[in-house]
Amino acid sequence: MQEGCDSYQSWSRRAILRGAALGGVAWMAGIPSALANLGFRAQPDGRDTLVVVFLRGGADGLNVVPPYLDDDYHRRRPSLRIRSPKESAAGTKTLDLDGFFGLHPSLAGLYPLYREGKMAVIQAVGSADQTRSHFEAMSAMERGLARLGPGSDTSNGWLARYLNHTAQEGDSPLRAVAIGDLMPDSLRGGLSAMALPDLGAFRLRGDRAFRERLTEAYGSSNDAIATAGRETLRVLDTLNRLDYAGYRATAPAAYPSSDLGNALKQVAFLLKAEVGLEVAFLDKGGWDTHVAQGSTTGWLAGLLEDVGNSLAAFTADIGPRLGKTTVVVMTEFGRRVYENSGLGTDHGRASCMFVMGGSTRGGKVYGDWPTLADDKLEGTGDLRVTTDYRDVLGEVLTRRMGLDQIDTVFPGLRHRPLGLLG
Amino acid sequence: MKRDSGIDRRQFLLGAAAVSTLAVGCAPLTQRVAGRRRAEDISMPKRGGSEAHRFLHRAAFGPIPGEPRRFAEMGRDAYLKSQLHPTDDDDPAMKFLLSRLDVMRMGSAELRDLPEGHVMRQLRQAAILRAVYSQWQVRERVIDFWTNHFNIFAHKGDGAYRKNIDDLMVVRQHALGKFPDMVRASAQSSAMLGYLDNQVNRKGVANENYARELLELHTLGVYGGYTQKDVSEVARCFTGWTIENRFMRPRDRFRFDPNTHDDGEKLVLGQRIPAKGGIEDGNRVIDIVTRHPSCAKFISTKLTRFFLGEAGEAIQPRVEQVYLDTGGDIVAMLMPILTSDAMLDGPPVLKRPYDYLVSSLRALDAQTDGGEPIQAHLDAMGQPLYGWPMPDGYPDRTTAWTGTLLARWNFAHQLVNNEIGGTSINPDGLAPYGPLVLGEGADGASLGDAAALLASPDFQWR
Repeated sequence: MQEGCDSYQSWSRRAILRGAALGGVAWMAGIPSALANLGFRAQPDGRDTLVVVFLRGGADGLNVVPPYLDDDYHRRRPSLRIRSPKESAAGTKTLDLDGFFGLHPSLAGLYPLYREGKMAVIQAVGSADQTRSHFEAMSAMERGLARLGPGSDTSNGWLARYLNHTAQEGDSPLRAVAIGDLMPDSLRGGLSAMALPDLGAFRLRGDRAFRERLTEAYGSSNDAIATAGRETLRVLDTLNRLDYAGYRATAPAAYPSSDLGNALKQVAFLLKAEVGLEVAFLDKGGWDTHVAQGSTTGWLAGLLEDVGNSLAAFTADIGPRLGKTTVVVMTEFGRRVYENSGLGTDHGRASCMFVMGGSTRGGKVYGDWPTLADDKLEGTGDLRVTTDYRDVLGEVLTRRMGLDQIDTVFPGLRHRPLGLLG
Repeated sequence: MKRDSGIDRRQFLLGAAAVSTLAVGCAPLTQRVAGRRRAEDISMPKRGGSEAHRFLHRAAFGPIPGEPRRFAEMGRDAYLKSQLHPTDDDDPAMKFLLSRLDVMRMGSAELRDLPEGHVMRQLRQAAILRAVYSQWQVRERVIDFWTNHFNIFAHKGDGAYRKNIDDLMVVRQHALGKFPDMVRASAQSSAMLGYLDNQVNRKGVANENYARELLELHTLGVYGGYTQKDVSEVARCFTGWTIENRFMRPRDRFRFDPNTHDDGEKLVLGQRIPAKGGIEDGNRVIDIVTRHPSCAKFISTKLTRFFLGEAGEAIQPRVEQVYLDTGGDIVAMLMPILTSDAMLDGPPVLKRPYDYLVSSLRALDAQTDGGEPIQAHLDAMGQPLYGWPMPDGYPDRTTAWTGTLLARWNFAHQLVNNEIGGTSINPDGLAPYGPLVLGEGADGASLGDAAALLASPDFQWR
C-alpha cells in the first residue's frame, strides 16, 4: 500500500467536515476548507458509489464472453469466433471463466479481478426491446423500462429517479456526474446531476465581475438553463478548491490515455477527494461492429482492451475504496449470432453485463444460457434475453445504494435478484 | 483596397457582415457598419426582443446589427420569398471566402493527399462561414437540419474525404427541394455508403446497417410500421450498392455491382418486388418508403419540432398534409411552419452550441475565419461538426445540453475580449449594448456587459 493510500484511508468524513487540515499529499491540500465552507455531505452514509459504464452501439456479448463450449458458437462464426482454451492449435484463446464461458483475451486486464471474486459476469441479459434500434434500446434502458412503446412516457432516467428518491438536505453539487459533454438520458431529470467534460479544464474565464454577473443572471428564473447555470456555478466553486491537474494515480495504476481512461481517472479523483460523489456515469461509443469486427485482434479487440485496461487501472487506483464502490458495465443490445457478409455482426438481442466491486460475489457467470440452437434463437437469429437487465441494476440499488422501494426506480418490475452482491 | 467591387448595394445590406470579412484587416468598413448601429438593431434573445429579433433567431441564425430593422421594413413574406428561393449555390461574397478552401476546390482523389485533420477543419470552416455570413440564412438553418437528419460521422473510415461531396450533392443540392430526391441522393452518396456500411452489403448474408437506418431514421421513424423482416428484405434490395474501388476508375463514386446483388424476389412493407430487378430494387424501396404515410408523419414532425420545439405539435398535421399533397416538397412544408404564430409566441427552444456560437458572432458583428480556434470552442460546447458518431444526429432536446454552459460562458468572455484567434470584434462598436443590458439611460457599454449578454440565460434560447 502506498503512503498516499493510507492517508486517504485515515480521512474520516467527520474530520473533513470539521475542516481538520491533515496536510500531507499536495493535491488535496485545499479539500477540507472547500467542504467546510460549502457545508454539504462528503459521503453518503453507508452507501456505495455507483459507477456505470455504458457501451454505446451494441457490444457483441457473444465475443466478449464467448460460450466456447457451445459448438454452435464456433459454427456460426467461422471467422469471428474466439478460440476455445481447449483447442490445440496455436494462437490467442479465450480466457476461461467457468469451464463453459470465457472472457475475450483483450479483457485480460479484468481477469485478475474475476479470479479474486470481485467481478461478476451476467450473460444473455438485456431489455424487452424488439426494435433492434440503438436509440430505442438505449432509451428504454436509460429510462429503466422493459421497452419503449409508441407514446410511452419519456420521463426521466433510472439514475435520475434514484437520485430524486434518495435526495436529502445538504446533498453535494457533485452527487451525480456524467463525465462527458452531454447529459445522458440515464441522469436526465436528476437533481444535481452534472455533465463534466474535463475536471482539469473546468475553470471560468474572466474576472470576478464576470462571475458576479453570472450569479445574478442565473439567480432568479427556474427554466432548465437557469437551474443548470446555478448548478454549474456550485460545481465551479467546489472544483476550484481542488487541484485535478496535480493528481497522480496511485501506483501501479496506469490509465490508458483514452477518453474512458481519462474519465475513470477523474472519477477516482472525485472519490478520493470525498466530495460526496454517489453516481458517476461514463460511456464509450464505437461498438456498432457491422463490418470487419475482428476476432482476437481488430476493432472489437481494441475497444475491449481499452475497457479492460481502464477499469483495471481504476480499481487499482482507488484501492481499498473498491469496498464501497460498485461498477456496472452495460450495453443496449448484443449482436446477431451469425456473422454477416462484411465479417461483422448486425444488431441482435441479448448481450452481457459486468458488475464489479468489493461486495460483488464475483468469479462466476450468472444467468441462464438459452443456447444457440436454431429453435432457441429469437427472430432472425439472435441470442434470447433470459435475464432482465433491471434485475441486475435493481439489485445494485437495493443492496448497495440504500434504495428501499425498487418500484420508485423500476416501476412494475417483479424483481428477481440474482444474488450478485453481498 | 477595392472593397465593394462587384457587390451591389442590396447585397451589401443583406450581407453586410459577409462583405466586411472580405475586407479582412480593414477596420474602416467594420466601423462604418458599427457606426450606423442603433440600440434596437442589436440582436437580442427571443424573450426580450422585438418580433423581428424573435423571427430571425428562429428562422435564421440570429440577426446581425441592422437586420431586424431591414426585416421589419421588408416584411416577413418578402423576406421568406427571397430566403426560400436563393438565386445561387452561394452568394458572391461567400464564394470568394470559400474559394480559399481546398475542400471546395479539390476532388476526393486530390483531397486524399492532405491530412485528414486539415480536411476536417476546412469542412467545419466552410459550415461556420456559411452560417455566419450567408445572405440565405434560412437555407443554412435548413441545411443544419438535414445535415443532422442524414448524419455522417466524418471520422469513420474515409468519411472526411467524402463528406464535402455529400454536403454538396445531397444536403445542399436538395435542402429546399423534394425530400424523396434527397433520400435517393443520400442512398448513392459515398459518404453514406461508407458510414452505414452499405458498401459491403452483399448477397448471402446482407448487412442491415443502412437498411435499418433508412427506415428508422431517414424515412419512416421507428414506429413507422416496419418489422425486422422488412429490414432484412430492404437490406437485400440494397445489396450491390457500393462505392467504386476498381483499378484505374475514379474513386468515391456510387457503383451498382450486379455480381454482389441478390436478385431474388423480395417483399417490402407488403409490396412484392419481383426477381431480377437489379438496381431498380433499391429505387423501388425508396419510392415505397418516401410515399408511405409514416414518412410524411415522421419528417413533418421532426421538421416542425426543429423550428418550433414543443409548440410544433399544433401545426404538424398541416405540414404532414403538405408532404402528402406535394410529394415531399420541402419549401412547401416550411411555409406553414415559418408563417405560424408559434414562430413569434411559442415557448423558446434551446440553441444547440452551433446555433449559440453563430448567433453570438452575428450579434456582435464579429469577423471570423471559422478556423481552428473558434472550432475548438464548438468542440468544448459539445458539438464539433460532423463529429456525432451515431446516425441520429446531434440531439435536439434541452436536457442533453445543460452540462455545457461553462463552455458557452468562456466563449462569450473570450469573444468579447478578442481572445479567439482568427476571430475579432470591434470593441468600439459596443456602445448600443448599454441600454439593453443596463437599462434605459445607461451610457455606453463595457466589454463585460456584452459578455454578460451573450452568457445570459436568455441568449441560450431562440
